[in-house]
Amino acid sequence: MIVFEHVGKRYGGRFEALADINFGVERGEMLFLTGHSGAGKSSLLRLIMRLERPSRGRLLVAGHDIDRLHNSQIPFYRRQIGVVFQDHQLLFDRDVFANVALPLEIQGVEPREGARRVRAALDKVGLLHRERALPIELSSGEQQRVGIARAVVNKPALLLADEPTGNLDPQLSADIMRLFEEFNRIGTTVLVASHDLALIARLRHRVLGLREGRLISDERIDQGGVA
Amino acid sequence: MSAAPRDNASRQAPRRGARSHRPGFDSRRRAWARHHRQMATDSARRLLRQPLGSLMTMLAIGIALLLPAGLWLALDGARGVGSRLEESATLTAYLAPAVGEREAMQLADTLRSHPEVDGARLITAAEGMAEFQQALGLDDALAELDDNPLPASVVVSPLDTSPAAVDDLRSQLASVDGVDEVRVDLAWLERLSSLAAFGQRLALALAILFGFGALLIVGNTIRLAVESRRREIEVVTLIGATHAFVRRPFLYSGAWYGLGGGLSAWLLLSLGGRWLTAPLQTLAESYGAQFVMPGLGWQGSAILLVSSTLLGWLGGWVAVHRHLAETRPR
Repeated sequence: MIVFEHVGKRYGGRFEALADINFGVERGEMLFLTGHSGAGKSSLLRLIMRLERPSRGRLLVAGHDIDRLHNSQIPFYRRQIGVVFQDHQLLFDRDVFANVALPLEIQGVEPREGARRVRAALDKVGLLHRERALPIELSSGEQQRVGIARAVVNKPALLLADEPTGNLDPQLSADIMRLFEEFNRIGTTVLVASHDLALIARLRHRVLGLREGRLISDERIDQGGVA
Repeated sequence: MSAAPRDNASRQAPRRGARSHRPGFDSRRRAWARHHRQMATDSARRLLRQPLGSLMTMLAIGIALLLPAGLWLALDGARGVGSRLEESATLTAYLAPAVGEREAMQLADTLRSHPEVDGARLITAAEGMAEFQQALGLDDALAELDDNPLPASVVVSPLDTSPAAVDDLRSQLASVDGVDEVRVDLAWLERLSSLAAFGQRLALALAILFGFGALLIVGNTIRLAVESRRREIEVVTLIGATHAFVRRPFLYSGAWYGLGGGLSAWLLLSLGGRWLTAPLQTLAESYGAQFVMPGLGWQGSAILLVSSTLLGWLGGWVAVHRHLAETRPR
């Protein structure tokens, strides 16, 4: 699903955010990306989302070298990726339903079919009863779940999450991670960047460790320890 | 440490391709039309939410468009007057002072029978004096004169009123015995037409300049709107909105501003026209002319509204394009 080949990213010619990153992610896999803040987790996700371009190396997603994508193709590429942000990036001038419906609106899904899918996504995150609420009226855990519903509403093949539990207490964080596992169970490839090592350790998935822009570990806990 | 892609053997996840949703052409076209409708009404609603601000922007555009449109109308009016004047172009043959009254009448007949001449009217010295007195209102001063200093004259209307033909006729008439001098009011006609050409160029230059001004007004207004919705643009771009999708609401806002500007220019123009009609008519009557206030008409109104709407649309496009160009991935 994702292949990094000697990928490096420099900002402004000096600061090296990522250096010689090599790893691969299978379709249907779920894995975590850990490291201190500034280790390059966000940069790595931004490369996959094609918000930035690698300075070196090659990055394949679903078999395509995404650096070769033409500017006009980028939107269609991004539609196949669901993204959950730490600050959930909800639009506060519209209600929960409209926020979740946004990707479908962008893709031009017919409204009745769209409403059905929005409700299905909201049901999955347990917020169907809040569809008319404004994001500001929700707790931060609920806001994050709305963000997740928006990320999965168009059934993306790949789900990325950048510190999705950053502001949440342990119980809510565990709930959010359980949601990701559920999406993974139905075949979605899930990549979660998080520095919550205690939570990650309990979840028994593959874990990539980043430090100062380099990949320092690739552990497959579910195979019985470090790979 | 680096890791090559490896098989995740422990878990057999159900395989699913990248399930990109590819609707057919027809449903895509419907979605496109639906979004256009939504954005047209949505952007209009946004404008109405701040009625005063929107109205001021539209008025600013209207005033910018008013000047070139007004000048164009004035030229149109002047062209009408000019063509009527050209039709009434005449030559005046002043007879030599020695020519007596009877000879003058014979001369007038001679001129009338010229093949290029439509008609000729004799103005005797006495008649000329009377006309002169009436026109200038100098009864008393002229009455002081012992002698009538004015020669008799024949006013000749040519068949062909084009400047070249008139000039040709002038030299022919000047060679007739007893004709002292032939005057044509051609010089000022030519001056008028070059003045009209100058006015046309001025109107064009002003239209370009002020059209650009209107573009900047819309562009700046839309730029602020883009700025206030920066986050929304960022989010929809992150989840796969095309540039066209992001641009659409702003293009409609721009078009609404432009249309509103065109309408206010139209309104100001007809109000101003009505306000100026009375004094202009009085002025024209004092010259013995009929004056009809030129109006835009259907065609002119349509041109004004369509071009102002297009200007607004273009202003919106420029503003959003600049923003999108800044946020391209590097």
